[in-house]
Amino acid sequence: MEMIISHNGRDWVAENESLRVSAPTLELLDIRLTEKMRAGHMVARGQVKKVFMAFNNATIPQWIRQYAQHYFNRIVEVRG
Amino acid sequence: MTSVNRKWYSGMLTQEDWWAVWLGLFFFGLGLLSIAGVDLVGWAVYPKKWVFNVPEGGTGSISHAFYALGSKYSLTAKAFYKGLGWWSIIWTYVIFTIATCIGAYCMKWDLKRYFVGWTIIYFLTIATWFVGHHAFFAANKTNWHKYGLNFALSLGGGASFILALIIGLIIGNFFKGFASYLSEAAKPEWFIKTAIVFLGVKVGYLPIKAAATSAKLGHQMADLTGHLFLAGAVATIVAYMIFWPGVYLIARRIFKLPRKTAAVLGSGISICGVSAAVATGGAVRAKPVVSIMVSALVVVWAVIELVVLPGFFTHVWPGTSDPLVAGSAMGMAVKTDGADAAAGDLLDEFLRNKIEVETNGRVKWPEGVITTSAVMTKVWIDMFIGLWAFVLAMVWVYKIDRRPGETVMASEVWHRFPKFVLGYFTAWFIYLAIFFLNGAGAPEGMHVLKAAKAGAVPVEKGFRKLFFMLTFMSLGIITDFSKLAEAKFGRMVWVYFVALFLFIIPVAVIIAYLFHHGMTIPNIAG
Amino acid sequence: MAAEKSQGALTGGQYEAEDVLADAEPWDPIETKLVVWSFVIAVVVLIIGLFIVPTSILN
Repeated sequence: MEMIISHNGRDWVAENESLRVSAPTLELLDIRLTEKMRAGHMVARGQVKKVFMAFNNATIPQWIRQYAQHYFNRIVEVRG
Repeated sequence: MTSVNRKWYSGMLTQEDWWAVWLGLFFFGLGLLSIAGVDLVGWAVYPKKWVFNVPEGGTGSISHAFYALGSKYSLTAKAFYKGLGWWSIIWTYVIFTIATCIGAYCMKWDLKRYFVGWTIIYFLTIATWFVGHHAFFAANKTNWHKYGLNFALSLGGGASFILALIIGLIIGNFFKGFASYLSEAAKPEWFIKTAIVFLGVKVGYLPIKAAATSAKLGHQMADLTGHLFLAGAVATIVAYMIFWPGVYLIARRIFKLPRKTAAVLGSGISICGVSAAVATGGAVRAKPVVSIMVSALVVVWAVIELVVLPGFFTHVWPGTSDPLVAGSAMGMAVKTDGADAAAGDLLDEFLRNKIEVETNGRVKWPEGVITTSAVMTKVWIDMFIGLWAFVLAMVWVYKIDRRPGETVMASEVWHRFPKFVLGYFTAWFIYLAIFFLNGAGAPEGMHVLKAAKAGAVPVEKGFRKLFFMLTFMSLGIITDFSKLAEAKFGRMVWVYFVALFLFIIPVAVIIAYLFHHGMTIPNIAG
Repeated sequence: MAAEKSQGALTGGQYEAEDVLADAEPWDPIETKLVVWSFVIAVVVLIIGLFIVPTSILN
């Protein structure tokens, strides 16, 4: 599953067409993502699903983007 | 708006880094056509020293203050380019406006604002270039008599750089609304990355230029650039692996900063400034605001370094006795590609003028070698930071934060790789190949090297200097010194000050000395 | 819209030092390892480099 991750100044936000989670820390974000995926039956019990989170570079101010074009991408394994 | 790096080719049409490659290689390719007898770059505008009243038998007429480089170097269209004169300003403006506007359009910038901003910055830059080349600023004692002067400041092309920075800073600090409007086009890092691709042409062309004096000198120059490449690589890794933990310790133990802030500051203050701060911020999963705040500090301090260090290295130490120690130290000490390359080029101008004056014209160094030494260390660190950020990501994700189920991907190294470096090395190695494949200065290959020169000079001299000038101007425009006084930066300002002046700069000089001491620049006088 | 474009999705309110400067964690042994290993790499590369780089002070 693919999601786009960004930061709104207070919270990390991960979203795609079917899911949106936000949390002040990445630890909490992953926990909330797991909860939502379990509740939405997006991951079966006992199954491990890889979630690819690509950082939205538009989060970074435009004047900085000329210096660096990448923040981070991450993969999180969600266990059902 | 969403912009993500999902595939290896993500961002090829939407990022400044890639657009520096496309712009740089496009004009490099146009220049290469001179080998086939087609000169498409001779319109490149370039300034000459001038005075209001030309002495009898002297030189420096205002009407010749700008010329198209093709009028001097073209083999096939010299007469046409001779006719351009000051019109070369307009030719250069139109062609680069089209080229950069295509880039701005693809990067989804506000095209109208970019166009207006670019136009203002371009003509301000040209005006500054003109004033900076008044012989009072640019001439030295070996040639000031030709302009009817008994004294001149001996700053060479450095005067134009200083003036561009001053005008930019005046706009950035006293006309903030105007500066904000211009910010859509004031892109020092984009300009300098493009200029560094043009510098690749210069590095490859240096042996060709030297071969015009003698084949031996051509070989010496090729060896010198090769040595700078190797020495720069090792010096940079050593420096960075001392800088980063040193600044991290200072930030954590003396200034009691949190881990992630210390890690981002460690990279930001260490060598490559904003790009490192963003790379490290992402690697340690810091909130973006950490990298943004550090970046805001970096750009201001980088300009302070740019103002202080070239003069210091020229007049205090090491001066003309170890010019490449000074150049490579600059690359390791001055943050951001823009400020470093700008400082390196300023140093190049200062030291070349100084050696000429000191030896009464008996020693002349080719333009750009010192700049190359300053950029070489920076290019290496730009590549190395991607690897270091990968290491830090693994340390933070697996050992410090230890979030269950999170994986660090190896593709991160590529996404953080500075793409403009590809353009720099391509341009360098192709011109170097042209040198070696055509006799390396032997008489039978000289006609090809002369044809290559006709296309290389407008790129490595005309376009490169113009983009350096644009960098100086833009750096000034986006630099707001009042940021240093803002309370929100708190003790980060002091961490920066202490780490930079008491740790980074001295260590950079020592390491540059260990690897570059005694390296000499071939003398091309006579 | 203009402010968002120039600053990215992050707007002015986030430029506060609180997040960035406060709450320093206690020093952890992993940090000692990180710092020490960085210095060790520097020394190793320095020694090797001084021998292999033809322009180094040793050569």
